[in-house]
Amino acid sequence: MNMIVCIKQVLDPEAPLSSFKIDPATNTMVPVTSVPFVISPFDEQAVEAALKIKDAKGGKITVISLGVNLLRDVVKKPLSLGADELILLEDPAFIGGDSWSTAYALAAAIKKVGQFDLIFCGRQAADSDSGQVGACIAEILGIPQVSVAKKVEAIDGKVKVDKVTTDGYEVVEVPTPALITVSNELGEVRFATFKGTMASKKKEPIIWKPADIGAEPAKIGAAGRRIKTRKLFQPVRDSKCEIIGGETDEDKAANLAKKLVEVKLI
Amino acid sequence: MLMTRNYFGFIPGYALFWGVFVIALLLFAYRIRQLLQYMFLGQKETGYNSWGKWITTTFAYVFSQLCQLKNFRFKKDRAPLGHALMAWGFFVFVLFYFFFFILAEGFGLAGLEKTNFFYYFAWVMDFMAVLIIIGAGWGLIRRFIIRPARLKGGQTIEALIILLSVFTHPFAFLFNQATVIAMGEAPAGLGHTLLPPFSSWLSHLFTGSALTVIQNWHIAFFWTDWLTVLLVLVYIPYSRYLHVIASIFNGIFEPRLPKGALKPIDLEHAEFLGIPTIDKLTWKQNLDLYACVVCGNCQEQCPAYITGKPLNPKKVIQDLKQQLLKAGPELVKAKAKGEPAPQNINVTLAGKVILEDEIWACTTCGACDTTCPVWVKHIDKIVDLRRNLVEQSILPETAKATLQSIERRGHPWRGTTLNRTDWAKGMNIKTLAEDPKVDILYWVGCTEALDERGIKIAQSFAKLMQQAGVNFGILGTEESCCGDPARRLGDEMTYQAQAQKNIEVLKGYNVKKIVTGCPHCYNTIKNEYPQFEGNFEVIHHTELIGDLLKQGKIKIGKGDYGSITFHDPCYLGRHNDIYRQPREILKELTCTKMVEMEKNRKRAFCCGGGGGRLWLEERIGQRISENRIDQVIKTKAQLVATACPYCLQMFEDAIKTKQAQDTVKVKDIAELIAESSAK
Repeated sequence: MNMIVCIKQVLDPEAPLSSFKIDPATNTMVPVTSVPFVISPFDEQAVEAALKIKDAKGGKITVISLGVNLLRDVVKKPLSLGADELILLEDPAFIGGDSWSTAYALAAAIKKVGQFDLIFCGRQAADSDSGQVGACIAEILGIPQVSVAKKVEAIDGKVKVDKVTTDGYEVVEVPTPALITVSNELGEVRFATFKGTMASKKKEPIIWKPADIGAEPAKIGAAGRRIKTRKLFQPVRDSKCEIIGGETDEDKAANLAKKLVEVKLI
Repeated sequence: MLMTRNYFGFIPGYALFWGVFVIALLLFAYRIRQLLQYMFLGQKETGYNSWGKWITTTFAYVFSQLCQLKNFRFKKDRAPLGHALMAWGFFVFVLFYFFFFILAEGFGLAGLEKTNFFYYFAWVMDFMAVLIIIGAGWGLIRRFIIRPARLKGGQTIEALIILLSVFTHPFAFLFNQATVIAMGEAPAGLGHTLLPPFSSWLSHLFTGSALTVIQNWHIAFFWTDWLTVLLVLVYIPYSRYLHVIASIFNGIFEPRLPKGALKPIDLEHAEFLGIPTIDKLTWKQNLDLYACVVCGNCQEQCPAYITGKPLNPKKVIQDLKQQLLKAGPELVKAKAKGEPAPQNINVTLAGKVILEDEIWACTTCGACDTTCPVWVKHIDKIVDLRRNLVEQSILPETAKATLQSIERRGHPWRGTTLNRTDWAKGMNIKTLAEDPKVDILYWVGCTEALDERGIKIAQSFAKLMQQAGVNFGILGTEESCCGDPARRLGDEMTYQAQAQKNIEVLKGYNVKKIVTGCPHCYNTIKNEYPQFEGNFEVIHHTELIGDLLKQGKIKIGKGDYGSITFHDPCYLGRHNDIYRQPREILKELTCTKMVEMEKNRKRAFCCGGGGGRLWLEERIGQRISENRIDQVIKTKAQLVATACPYCLQMFEDAIKTKQAQDTVKVKDIAELIAESSAK
């Protein structure tokens, strides 16, 4: 089973809100130094889904990421967990894109890799949250796509996917090659072992430039962007606290219920 | 009368004497050789051995019995004294048997018995025999009638055999001497008339008996004496009483490591991490196993055991020892053939021999290591077992999240809404990036920078330093977790990455002196960073506050807290011997009464937060922190002061879950002084 996983390096989504600042003039984020870069958590789960199949059936996992100045300690993480190869689309021309232009570049790279049965993406990136790159890659490659998977099993030329729905999950089957986007319901990701980390230190990523993957310069990165950001801002959260009183605990509960009905929360 | 010059039928006495002695020696040597083979299956050990250690161990600890007597005042049954009586008796007896049995009886140096030396020796022996009888009798009563909890599961048969032999032997000795006196032979050789009191008193039993009768009794007592000695000699290496020999060497070869430090792993060249199987212990760790005499002192002190967790440090050592003795023969064979040992015998330790719940229950508080009379180290083995589990990715979910957070974000407080400099807002505190020319770096630590409760310590302490005019700075966002939770949870890789990162930053600013309020950071930077060429002068905030008070740079006001008790943080007290400074500071708070908890200083009871446990669930048994708060409440103190952000957090939680907010409060020493000096 040949698998490809697309990962994105993002600023730690769990960093305190106060760490981020937006420049209203350019509608961009002011670069921060105190927040570390991590792999988008959904993408980590995509790696985990591929590793689980590798554990069960064997196979090769190729990880692809896109950006500039990608931190090797961060993007090499999947190698320490058991992925086999890391390809970086690392060029200023690749960045500043929207979901489509990013997917275009990734799809071109995947075509160059050639052999693949399954492609995994996170359900959405933890920074931009658009959740479209996976679907766009599948569209460009002309392969079926299953989104928000919580479990993926490979069975002879097909994959069985448990797909999260609002009130449970749906079990679907797709023929390979296919693209799956993975959700956090997949569960905890594995822990990098010492041996894995030491082995990953010796592996160097493969770097591809736009010319290497035969990408049209006008379709990638900022040049290929079709979406324009109108306004980027930090929402101000205003919270008011009200203590609901009452004679007894029962009264308090009843008053609370009334209040909740009043503000149409229940 | 020399027994060895007598004939028993046609067998000469000396043949019998040497015969049994040689048999005993062979049995003894056979077992010792076996034990040494098992022991040296172990890995290399570093940093041990110095001549000073030979002398301090043998004289200052063993012969003085300080190893036991250090625990004397903490034991209601005063058992350490009983041990000391037996041990002192034992040392003198060993000499006696060397001189008067081996040299005099064995080699026929008959003149020895006629010397003044023997006369005085006989006097000493007379008293020593009585001391041993008291000690061993006391031991028998304690073990088989009183039965203290710490001795449970302690191989009773072995205890019975050894205690009975040790108890009966001095009787044989005294009666033997009595018969000699009754025969009018010794030890009055040089005209001394004052005879050793106990044996001469016993010799009256033989007054009026015919010489031949006395001689027959003499023969009987002599052989009982000699045979019991040999029985004990043989039994020592076959039982846990091996500690008589092993513990001395265990003390001598104790690695020279600061108390609070763990040994580093050479990650570049390591073939395995921690101790996957019994043959991966170092030979010194194996010697630890031999030295353990199952006394249960560690069990009695262990906060995890006391609160009903499956961990018992005594059992960990014994289980490892059993595995070494069980797998030993096969391992030695395999080693001789140069083959790997069969896996069904050389089983995985973590999870099989020592269960995961035992391994994760340890707070690394060091109560076990501190109380152990025979230098056994427990923490290193438990952390080594964790290291092995971490390598297999077998660890509690919350531990995983903590370690991942340290690795990614450089702090263990996943989900915090604070930045490293938020606590200092509006306080006008410099970072080294802004001004590297400071006298001292304040290393804030993750918990004092990123935890809502913890930041109050940092704010108080910084305020005190500002009041006193200390020229200090912080690293701000350049500070990263010191690595203590990672190292103690067994993730050496993350620890070393953190250590190296921090050392680089500290060296980059040419930092010489560091003050920190967190005993865990303190211990790590002071005792463990030198392993990675990070040598800095580190002091704890209690030391600095104490100095500033003495110099009059901080004016202390009223401390209206009623009575205060102090909780010794393990990594400040036991691991770094800072007991005095915090108490001196608290005494400065006027109008405040200091009371001590029963378990204080070296015997302090952990808060439950060390060893990475602050980030793990505590599902089994009573919460350690709640147990400690019960101890606080028992003193009737209205406030428990501490000097560690972990302890503070553990106790804040425990006070809430016990709904004891109206009874007792917890504060850091820095907070108390800052509050009272502001008044």
